[in-house]
Amino acid sequence: MSAADDAGNNELLQFSVANDLREIAVAADRIDEFCSANGIPPATAYAINLSVDELLTNTISYGYEDGGEHRIDLMIRLDGDVLAVEISDDGIEFAPDSADDPDTNASIEDRPIGGLGIFLTRKMMDSFDYRRDEGRNIVTLTKKTGIASQENQ
Amino acid sequence: MEISTETRNGALIAKAEGRIDGANARDFESAVQTAVRDCEGAVIIDCENLSYISSAGLRAILLIAKTLGKRKVKFALCSLSEPIAEIFQISGFDQIISTHSSRDEALAAVDS
Repeated sequence: MSAADDAGNNELLQFSVANDLREIAVAADRIDEFCSANGIPPATAYAINLSVDELLTNTISYGYEDGGEHRIDLMIRLDGDVLAVEISDDGIEFAPDSADDPDTNASIEDRPIGGLGIFLTRKMMDSFDYRRDEGRNIVTLTKKTGIASQENQ
Repeated sequence: MEISTETRNGALIAKAEGRIDGANARDFESAVQTAVRDCEGAVIIDCENLSYISSAGLRAILLIAKTLGKRKVKFALCSLSEPIAEIFQISGFDQIISTHSSRDEALAAVDS
């Protein structure tokens, strides 16, 4: 029985990483493993990896002012044909809506360095929600897996 | 992430392998910047074995493109996988950086 045929299909991956950029590759391995075990197409797995990478990079690079060690919690849930990702950290509050979208038509000389991470995440995922809850940043993302359309081909 | 370089028809080809993410994009950028420092011919980054790139990797490529642009050195990328090509398209990088489906095509483009 394939993942998509199983109506009660509800797979969950939960883990946490330290605030160290090298942990991004560790998270990517776990996400790839989860995606391939659940028949999630590589393009969707890439989008999930990219989103987690962009958010972790932001939080680890700019979210902590104390230089101390922190844990960032990740939860990835497959619910039918929708993947939900939740990233939760105790870093400083951020405003994902504050940055303007980058001008993707600018010339090479005028193109600013940076500002692409959250933009790419929004484009690659179907939904992007941010909330601040009891001193934590919680970002929730969803994306249709494409499992069903793949199996109908 | 690994980078190996070779020269073809006067062009420096840097072959990137593995992942370019938030952790190693700066290493990637400095390795390529070092490799192209004295390069007068064209520079091509071959992405055939590049499995993943994030916005940090795009930032590194933009910095390399800006450096080479100031020196009037031709710069191209080749053999991007489908998801990486999509990232280039969404970010508009395909409009500012010359990308080609094969190394030969990139070599022909920088030779013209």
